[in-house]
Amino acid sequence: MKISINGEIKEFENKSLTIKDILEEMNYGKGIAVALNETFVLRDKYQETIVNSGDRLDILSPVQGG
Amino acid sequence: MDIEKTMVDTKGGNWELEGKKFHSRLMIGSALYPSPEIMKKAIIASGSQIVTVALRRQSATSLQGGNQFWNIIKELDVTVLPNTAGCHTAKEAITTAMMAREIFETNWIKLEVIGNQYTLQPDPFALVEATKSLISEGFRVLPYMTDDLVLAQKLADLGCTTLMPWGSPIGSGRGLMNPYNLKVIRKQFPKLNLIVDAGIGKPSDAIEAMELGFDGILLNSAVALAQEPIKMAKAFKYATYAGRLGFEAGTMQKRDMATPSTPTVGTPFWHQFS
Repeated sequence: MKISINGEIKEFENKSLTIKDILEEMNYGKGIAVALNETFVLRDKYQETIVNSGDRLDILSPVQGG
Repeated sequence: MDIEKTMVDTKGGNWELEGKKFHSRLMIGSALYPSPEIMKKAIIASGSQIVTVALRRQSATSLQGGNQFWNIIKELDVTVLPNTAGCHTAKEAITTAMMAREIFETNWIKLEVIGNQYTLQPDPFALVEATKSLISEGFRVLPYMTDDLVLAQKLADLGCTTLMPWGSPIGSGRGLMNPYNLKVIRKQFPKLNLIVDAGIGKPSDAIEAMELGFDGILLNSAVALAQEPIKMAKAFKYATYAGRLGFEAGTMQKRDMATPSTPTVGTPFWHQFS
């Protein structure tokens, strides 16, 4: 299935993935926050939140800001 | 007298912002510095205790070995004020604020919702919409806004205790475009914390805002883009302090005519004007 991650289309073989699965597969560690289809997902919900083909995932972390 | 040691807030102690006490009334951004090291030194030199930060998409590869920027900020022991920079709708800003709350572990948010790409002018309607939602979610919203009195009233009615009108567009360094509007907002909301956010270009701009009775200054480009950011950070530290002292001391009334300050009685070589 295809998922947009930070604006880039990524293809995954497994057809049932949670946010946790995707973050692990992509080697994301701590210090991030996630939005699925522009809706914030609590860290505690990564394990139970299913990502479907065509979904958009945004993975953000701290940067400089004014 | 060591001015560095005396530069704490006057008038009954520390400055209280959103339930926390601070000595410094200067808030500083963390962007646009020539290097992370200069950013760190400039923040320290500014004496600021509140530093603005942001969130952006980042790849897992870029985060390998940790987030260097965030590690520096954490070492500084400052209060972080996350922003929602780059958001153009209330929904985007709300989502970003929620993400910021989780990462930065704070319910403070500098709420920015941009309405015009050319001037980066905040969208007042989306700002009100997002403020309402975020306050109901338990956020302390510090809205970046235009210097509009009616908008200020709406935001205050929603429960904002801090308002941050612009001096002029973000990064323009044009100073206070409309001191009259800022003065009126100050007069209408004597109990709110008012901070001039954006547009400050030089230390005298900060002094002007503080002399108007504003409670604080938030700036970034003026320091980060100076020839010597660390020195400029120090200049703003003194300017903010000087402006505050000037406001508290109360400036004299302007007069149309000159009035000698040196006593005229006993003046030698007296010339009587006729």
